[in-house]
Amino acid sequence: MTQAAIELAGLKKRFGDNEIIRGVDLAVREHERHALIGPNGAGKSTLFHLISGLYTPSAGDILLNGRSIGGLPPHLITRRGLSRSFQITTIFPRLSVQENLRIAAMSKHGRRYALFSLARNAKEVNRDTDQLMELVRLSHVRDKFAGDLTYSEQRALEIGMAMGPGADVILLDEPMAGMSREETHYMIDLIRNVTVGKTLLVVEHDMEVVFSLCDRISVLVYGELIATGRPDDIRSNARVQEAYLGEVVA
Amino acid sequence: MLRLITLALVGAVLIAAPLFLEPHSIGVLTTALIAALFAMAFNLLSGRAGMLSFGHAAYFAIGGFAVIHTMQAVESGAIWLPTPLVPLMGGVAGLIGGLGAGFFATRRSGVYFSMVTLALAEMLHALAPNLGGFFGGEVGLTSMRMPWLAFDYGSENQVYFTVLAWTVFGIALLYAYNQTLFGRLTVGLRESERRISFLGYNAHHTKIIVFGVSAMFSGIAGGLLAFATESMNYSMLGMGMSASVVLHTFVGGSTVFLGPALGALIFALFGSLVSDLTKNWLLYQGILFVLIMMFMGDGLAMLWIRIVNECRSRNWDALRQRVLLLIPGLLITVGAITILEVTSKILDQQQYATSVARMNAWPPVSVFGVSWDPTSALTWLLPLVAILVGIGFVYLILARKMQQRTGTIIMSREPAR
Ligand SMILES: Nc1ncnc2c1ncn2[C@@H]1O[C@H](COP(=O)(O)OP(=O)(O)OP(=O)(O)O)[C@@H](O)[C@H]1O
Ligand SMILES: [Mg+2]
Repeated sequence: MTQAAIELAGLKKRFGDNEIIRGVDLAVREHERHALIGPNGAGKSTLFHLISGLYTPSAGDILLNGRSIGGLPPHLITRRGLSRSFQITTIFPRLSVQENLRIAAMSKHGRRYALFSLARNAKEVNRDTDQLMELVRLSHVRDKFAGDLTYSEQRALEIGMAMGPGADVILLDEPMAGMSREETHYMIDLIRNVTVGKTLLVVEHDMEVVFSLCDRISVLVYGELIATGRPDDIRSNARVQEAYLGEVVA
Repeated sequence: MLRLITLALVGAVLIAAPLFLEPHSIGVLTTALIAALFAMAFNLLSGRAGMLSFGHAAYFAIGGFAVIHTMQAVESGAIWLPTPLVPLMGGVAGLIGGLGAGFFATRRSGVYFSMVTLALAEMLHALAPNLGGFFGGEVGLTSMRMPWLAFDYGSENQVYFTVLAWTVFGIALLYAYNQTLFGRLTVGLRESERRISFLGYNAHHTKIIVFGVSAMFSGIAGGLLAFATESMNYSMLGMGMSASVVLHTFVGGSTVFLGPALGALIFALFGSLVSDLTKNWLLYQGILFVLIMMFMGDGLAMLWIRIVNECRSRNWDALRQRVLLLIPGLLITVGAITILEVTSKILDQQQYATSVARMNAWPPVSVFGVSWDPTSALTWLLPLVAILVGIGFVYLILARKMQQRTGTIIMSREPAR
């Protein structure tokens, strides 16, 4: 078996007396598309915040490609090759789409303190920016303010921002929440395209999306993983049906 | 294109200024240029990076003191440095001070950041009198500009041109900074610090550098003041200086590149002109600030851009309305100034009270070259009527605009019914 891209071992997170993540063990394989599902308030976003460094674990460890990243700050985790999107769109609203993606692409080239290079002359950065823009299909709104885009365009930009640093492991938190059916299909296709050859961990409520996009699924209920497996196994798992699918799919 | 022409015109006026201005006015213009560079440096942090500093006088003053000490050293022959390059030392000192203070201040964001910058500046202000060796105590420090090549730096004009050159150079560098990759990243910091971190940037280090660069240019501005006045006093560290740079920046407009410089120039010139006319000039400056913030919150530079755009798109209605508003604006201004000036002259303890006592009557006072009798009802009614008529006019103009707007909305809804 190949090494896991992300490995969680006995991961716990407490806020005061409230244990939100209660000992999660999970291995996301390299190059798989893995879904994390679970009812509202199960702790899915909290788990993402732990993996990406926004929160520090109360106990347990997180391994990225075999190396521990538990407790590292977000920017160092990103530099080690893990990048994410947020459930609440986190872009630069008063900058153009192109400026948004350029800041994302600069990071991939390590141009973090480029005080003496003119943005207009930074060839590789600008080439990558254009590529990203095409990848998330936003070239037609290149010069628009990100804050003036439609909701689904903003969500596409959010994914583009996550792809910018060129990480191999991508975390997407509810990328299609609040979208119409048509927009959802468009987004599934887009996510499939941008994550070719990468490892994807995605939180999603829509079962249709999960079953069509992902290789494996994990179910989180009240801070505990109750099942991990292929879509068919999850569909027929009695505990999952009881805890989660029963109410949603019916 | 229009932008280039405007810039060329402003440049030509600034270069030709000594031809038609007397030395005193050149001195005023010199201070105005320094304030402009300071405001531009401040806005890099405040407008572009979104970090509102309430203690920027500290870096301005640190630059000033560094330059005074350098000038003293040059004067005594301890070091050699061409006189026009002396302000550079202000930049070096500002940068060092800014990196140090920035390390602490940028650990917090928002209001907390502002409070830390304020506290750091006030701390320095409180300490300065005890550090007489560096800050010169109550009397401050003085020095002489040494001659260099053909320049003796004895005339206002030579000082003016040196300051002009440094100001233009500083603003050009700030412009170039904005065009670099790091300059773009700086704006991202304002928009979403969280996103910056999750893209792999160390937000704290990034903010320290921006703080340092802003403090460096503030230090150059402070250095220019020391160079121009040949003196420096620890009172420069006080809240007044920190507040005025905020004022200049917001009046000019922090969203337009040259907005802060415009605000600084306008306020410096306003202060110099109006303080000759009335001692209430600070009151008028305050009223002006409040009015600009209330009715054009994004500053005068933005107002200018709107007017230019209205001219370009031949939006005569909007332009006519602006011109129409000038009439009631003038009425209200004249009325308000009359009341304020008559009142302040009556309340002026020393002068007026003695003449009341001597003549046993309330003598008339002169405003706008007209003599106003404080005991006559007309003195108070006339300006009051002017103000009320003005407000009525404004109301009518705005109401008509509203009516036109709702009118079109109703019409466009008509067919749907
Ligand atoms: N910083 C915090 N402090 C205290 N409690 C928190 C904090 N963050 C999250 N929680 C709690 O943790 C629980 C899980 O929240 P989380 O956002 O991770 O759920 P989720 O599975 O992402 O839900 P949703 O599907 O609604 O996005 C919630 O009950 C929430 O109130
Ligand atoms: Mg969530």
